[in-house]
Amino acid sequence: MNALEIEHLTKHFGGVRATNDVSFAVPEGSLTALIGPNGAGKTTLFNLITNLFRADSGTVRFFGEDLGERSPSEIAGLGLLRTFQTARVFPGMTALENVMAGAHRRLRSPALAQLLWLPGARAEERRLTERAEALLELVGLQGFRDVAATSLPMGAQKLIEVCRALLAGPRLLLLDEPAAGLNDTETAELSRLLRAIRDGGITILIVEHNMSLVMDSAQQVVVLDAGCCIATGSPREILNDQRVIEAYLGPAAEVA
Amino acid sequence: MEQVLQIIIGGLLQGSVFAVIALGLSLVFRVTGIINLAQGGFCILGALTLYTLETDYGLPAPLAVLAAVAITTLIGLGLGAASFVPSLSRLPNSSMLMLTAGLMTAIEGLALVVWGSQPYAVPPFSGERPLVLLGLHLPSQGLWIAGASALMIFGVWYALARTAVGKALLACAENPMAARLMGVDVRLLTLASFGLTALIGAVGGIAVAPIMSFQFDSGRFFTNAGFIAVAIGGMTSLGGAVAGGLFLGVAEQLAAAYVSSLFATAVSLALLLATLIWRPNGLFAARITRRQDVREELRVHRAIVRFRGRGATIGGLVVLALLATLPQLVGAGAMSSLVIALILFVSVLGLDVLMGYTGQVNLGQSGFMAIGGYTAAILATNYGLPPLLGLAAGIVLSLACALVLSMVTLRLRGAYLALATLTFGLLVDSLTVGLGDLTGGPSGLVGIPAFSIAGFAFATPESLYYLVLGFVTLLVLALMGGMRSGFGRALQAIRTDQMAAAALGINVVRHKMAAFGICAALGSIAGSLYAFDFHFLAPEMVGTARSFEMIAMLIVGGEGTLVGGLIGALLITLLPTIFQPLAAYKIMAEGLLLVLVFQFMPDGLLGTGMRHLFHFGTRDRAPVRAPAAKEHAR
Repeated sequence: MNALEIEHLTKHFGGVRATNDVSFAVPEGSLTALIGPNGAGKTTLFNLITNLFRADSGTVRFFGEDLGERSPSEIAGLGLLRTFQTARVFPGMTALENVMAGAHRRLRSPALAQLLWLPGARAEERRLTERAEALLELVGLQGFRDVAATSLPMGAQKLIEVCRALLAGPRLLLLDEPAAGLNDTETAELSRLLRAIRDGGITILIVEHNMSLVMDSAQQVVVLDAGCCIATGSPREILNDQRVIEAYLGPAAEVA
Repeated sequence: MEQVLQIIIGGLLQGSVFAVIALGLSLVFRVTGIINLAQGGFCILGALTLYTLETDYGLPAPLAVLAAVAITTLIGLGLGAASFVPSLSRLPNSSMLMLTAGLMTAIEGLALVVWGSQPYAVPPFSGERPLVLLGLHLPSQGLWIAGASALMIFGVWYALARTAVGKALLACAENPMAARLMGVDVRLLTLASFGLTALIGAVGGIAVAPIMSFQFDSGRFFTNAGFIAVAIGGMTSLGGAVAGGLFLGVAEQLAAAYVSSLFATAVSLALLLATLIWRPNGLFAARITRRQDVREELRVHRAIVRFRGRGATIGGLVVLALLATLPQLVGAGAMSSLVIALILFVSVLGLDVLMGYTGQVNLGQSGFMAIGGYTAAILATNYGLPPLLGLAAGIVLSLACALVLSMVTLRLRGAYLALATLTFGLLVDSLTVGLGDLTGGPSGLVGIPAFSIAGFAFATPESLYYLVLGFVTLLVLALMGGMRSGFGRALQAIRTDQMAAAALGINVVRHKMAAFGICAALGSIAGSLYAFDFHFLAPEMVGTARSFEMIAMLIVGGEGTLVGGLIGALLITLLPTIFQPLAAYKIMAEGLLLVLVFQFMPDGLLGTGMRHLFHFGTRDRAPVRAPAAKEHAR
């Protein structure tokens, strides 16, 4: 079964075709990378999938379910979680609280139970804290749990954002350039995290410029250029694809 | 027919003053993205200064006018340089809005100290005799008003549209950072535009002074009218501001002539709410979309104060014990203030949930206090219902109003949302005055019984104090439970990043409504208790000034801390009682306190104090002291 099926998705901004008749599928349990030069429409595609923008035409199906009329928070409620290109941790909250905010869709005790400190709500809160702490430990940030999240370096903020999305228990995770701005150690950390997520059975669709990260972990690569999907295949196939090389390096004549 | 024309001309005259004020508001909004609620204060400063120069110092009228305009402009420049401009780059827009509310309160307080609370009037510039034109009577002052307005409008339009300075001002509005890189002195230009609005305000106030009586707090009237005009016409369009002002003037005069003068305000407010709902950008909006987010994002940071563990429990018990013994320590005179402080704290707690945690500015909290107060008081006094039932009825009515208000304001953001709540407060205010048969009108509602539960009356201040203290303790515990759990995390996520919150499956609309409901219910409870405590309720006790006072309490104490509001409530309520000579300066001190706290400790007394005394919590963007910070914060 496919976790995500995108068919003929199109979006224009004025005269600019940000996304033009894009179709591809993300098989369940896979790690699919979405690559392409700057301005190819990768982030726009994420915004269309999560309905932050309305598509002009085309459909997006999540485990067979049409997402067309659903609000962003409903889509997250179905288990399709995303991160943002610039880390969007919540200011005014600690690192731990930021991660815990991700669990929102899985909280069972109602607000009233939380107000009244009912034992069930407290127990749920404790379980949640433990899971969030475990995630922070996985990415090596356990020492920063009570620090304001925005005071951490960019790499740590991005990892926190991934942890936050993970705690939501996603069926499909969309990651928008998680390695951008990360140093080598942090990138290695991230690579480990990605494989751990995939081995845990969570499907991943990732936008990434870091080629070694993509080639190491992805099973399928989708290449976008100027809003169009120009190639789909395994990392090895993509590396040898003439159109992909042209999109990145220009036509052969110019290179020579 | 002639009568209608007469009314319309009167409306246009009044409207041209509104248009001038609206012009000032629009100017500052275009350059800074802030609605300057202090605008009306400059009108009243100008008019009062004119009175003093003309009457007390015997200056000839033209000289007095010029001097009054100059003095007001200087005061405006001073306030701008000392507070408005330096804060602009550091505070989020919602805080800036409240900072201008603080400036307004400070100006009012200053006027109260200098001129007292009696009304003033100045003679018309060119005699009392009206002009007769085509059979219509025109007050000769009308020509002065129309002339001054036209001059101001033309001047501002010319400066913005035809001069290089105007272009630079618009550049500041569009993108301050880029303007600075292009060599534009953004701070200087912002200051200049702030000074210019003071000048505009002074001219408007002085021109209209001879046809109305005015006192220290008449500035509110100008701010409100100007703001309504600018919102109807469109924030970002100078032409819209002028058209909105004229439209409002005519509408008010027609309403006053054919319905009732008491409802003239209500009509204009209803008009405003309708505009905000259906055409949030105004009827004559220019097609400019401001990129507010350019500056907004970096300024929402603040200290993280968390009360956890044994230290928090012990601290809480100590504070509670202190509060319980406080009635024995203070005299009988301060006792009633102590009760009021606690009652207001209930309402401030609601504000903290909505503003501190959810980031939604509410400038109309007194509206819910009025609904709760009047509902409970009327039911208990006129119909003999048990006070508890009246209080419950007040909550139901407030929640209904909050539901309607939050549904119609769902589409509004930022400043517009804040102003819709301000409008709501003003609307309730004008209704409490207008519905005299029910509320006793301006003279108030008398003979309200003491609060009682199941026949036991809390007739003495002490008994009511302990009742409210018990309630407040439970309330703080409950809210702390909520705010440290998933519900509170969702609210805090919404505060800074609605899009990221939605991407985690948080239903933004429903959470905002819940926070608004909590805020309204607590405001309503506070209003009911206040009425039962005083045995009397008048509109100004739960008027817009009260909304600003409660915001000051919240900010002074510290937003997003729940208990911080208590410090603010006690401070602002008790200080004038303890130091009687301070009472005359109360309003000015409140305003200055709000401004200074915003400028110098935006985390409030509690947040700042915690940070300095105990290294408790960390401020966002502080240098990373990670491993050490861990031990401190726990």
